[in-house]
Amino acid sequence: MTTMPSLAVEATAPARTSAPEHLVVSGATKRFGAVTVLDDLSISVAKGEFVSLLGPSGCGKTTLLRCVAGLLRLDRGRILVAGAEITRLPAHKRNIGVVFQNYALFPHLTVAENLGFGLRAQGVSRAEAAPRVAEALALVRMTEHADKPVTALSGGQQQRVAVARALAVRPSLLLLDEPFSALDRKLREVMQVELKHLLREVGITAIFVTHDQEEALVVSDRIAVMNAGRIEQLADPATLYGRPASLYVLDFVGQSTRLTGQVMESAEGEVTVDTPLGRVRAPGLFLSGSQVVVAVRPEAMMLDGVAAGMPPSAGINRLTTRIREVSFLGSRTLLHLEVPDSGTTVNRALIELPRLPEGASPGNPVTVAFRAADTMVFPAS
Amino acid sequence: MSVSAAAPPASSLSAARAALPQLPRRLDPLALLALPALLFMAVVFLMPLLLLLWASVRAEGGFSLAGYVRVLGDSYYIGVIGNSLRLGLVTAFGALLLGYPAAFALARARGYAQAILFALVFLPLTVSIIVKSFGWGIVLRRDGILNWLLINLGLIERPLRMLFTEESLYAGMINVFLPFMVLPIYSVVRMLDPRLSEAAATLGASPLFRFLRITLPLSLPGVVAGLSIVFSLAVAAYVTPSLLMGDRYMTMSMVMAKAFLNLRDWQLGSAMAAVLLALAVAVVVGAGLLQRRLARHGQ
Repeated sequence: MTTMPSLAVEATAPARTSAPEHLVVSGATKRFGAVTVLDDLSISVAKGEFVSLLGPSGCGKTTLLRCVAGLLRLDRGRILVAGAEITRLPAHKRNIGVVFQNYALFPHLTVAENLGFGLRAQGVSRAEAAPRVAEALALVRMTEHADKPVTALSGGQQQRVAVARALAVRPSLLLLDEPFSALDRKLREVMQVELKHLLREVGITAIFVTHDQEEALVVSDRIAVMNAGRIEQLADPATLYGRPASLYVLDFVGQSTRLTGQVMESAEGEVTVDTPLGRVRAPGLFLSGSQVVVAVRPEAMMLDGVAAGMPPSAGINRLTTRIREVSFLGSRTLLHLEVPDSGTTVNRALIELPRLPEGASPGNPVTVAFRAADTMVFPAS
Repeated sequence: MSVSAAAPPASSLSAARAALPQLPRRLDPLALLALPALLFMAVVFLMPLLLLLWASVRAEGGFSLAGYVRVLGDSYYIGVIGNSLRLGLVTAFGALLLGYPAAFALARARGYAQAILFALVFLPLTVSIIVKSFGWGIVLRRDGILNWLLINLGLIERPLRMLFTEESLYAGMINVFLPFMVLPIYSVVRMLDPRLSEAAATLGASPLFRFLRITLPLSLPGVVAGLSIVFSLAVAAYVTPSLLMGDRYMTMSMVMAKAFLNLRDWQLGSAMAAVLLALAVAVVVGAGLLQRRLARHGQ
């Protein structure tokens, strides 16, 4: 995973534990007709924390963001910011900044006029607003573009203007709705780090909405994985990746080998599972005979030759199969392995290696090994 | 053709204007597709128009501006021109007042609601003006429905004279031309991103501030288009004023018709037509320039 280095940095980030809760959403429910988009959802965000709402389209993440911003009303539930209830306040009285997916810059105004809009709307005089607009321009390094129409800007510049416009009124909270989706991949990666750094400097509390798990891993202190109007798991990126709470989270964040199987033996917090590729041992509490899914992250798997150097303890699982396909990805190589009845999408096996091993070509036999401790077991859905 | 003289120059002029920057480049073969329409317009519109202009300056034994002196020097005809301009302005701004909110409702509506609103906008166009004025007669006359209603509600003592008043003419004109105001505004408003207003709200802008600073300026191109279309149609109107007011309210088109059909006074009729044409062209070109400015600012 390319995101692993930044994860390591993030793990030491001083975010939340001591800070008081800044945003509290409790029991949020929202229906559109017969469809329940938010289902009794609750979440708390600490002051200065960056939280991502991650999920596929239709999971309710944008609806939650719009409810917090005041652009939609909750059917039930409460929203508090800094201890004050805002559930029934209209959007223009909430002082919550929003960066829209398409930026929603005012096309008939210049960059500076866009930045000054909120201040003017709140009754700040032109003279008083000017230095604050200049400050916001400098913050996103757009000073020399102040008098350009916003339609003359590139995508990255438009995004910076949208962020600066939202920050210029000093909101108590910043909501960002897929802020990088309009940028091409290369620029997106640059802007993610740049924006995170900028928001950290400003010290604002921010909530990102995204369907891109990699983006969520990069920008967030904590990630809320959403599913059908509920939060499936709320955790820091390392926990989310290493200890997903469900198959849904496992699938949504990162890749994995996953094999369906039946528990053959269960003792002392360890189960032995019969999978299409052989027996696998893993920590877990399941009744013998229950159907489960065994999962391993691709970088936790090794070729057998490498594993041979490890002590021949009982903690190593070994599976023998054939290589199905090789994906060379530059800094790493993914081997897709044959799994009997892999025609179903349920079973798949992946191993990630730092470099392409000799003789790794489709059809060749291979034995992979992984530690039982790195093996996860979920109840089959 | 004098009745509708005001409308066509709008399209041909703006077409010529749009074509101008293209000229230095090689002619696009697709431009040839406009040829049939151009030939058609040349025969049915340009030639009669030139003949008309020629008739307005022709005199016994040569060239004369006597027709224009008669039109512009006579307080009666100045009054007629005033009538037409007033009718055009009142109709245009009255239609704007009613049509602007309607265009928003139309743009925001979805599904059946939108289909019904569209029908309401277009239905008046499908009913002949003759039928409509007959209907207005039933509603507005001394023993008509509206007077009956007002008396029975105790709002008035005795019936009001509503038919053949200037107000009833304005109401009739706005009824006829409202669709031409709603449609251009609708087409602009429909393209407005609702997130712009939402973004303004999250920045602390009240609904009124949002309307004045975001929605209104961005919808102005549609407003300008609607005003210029309705004004140029209304200023040249003949049928509706004739049916609703007759000789009590003479408009330029009515004077023209009288001059051509009753008096056989070609000089008067064609000079009046040329003045009307000049007024309409000035408004349409002015509106076009204003619209381009607004559009450029909006980009």
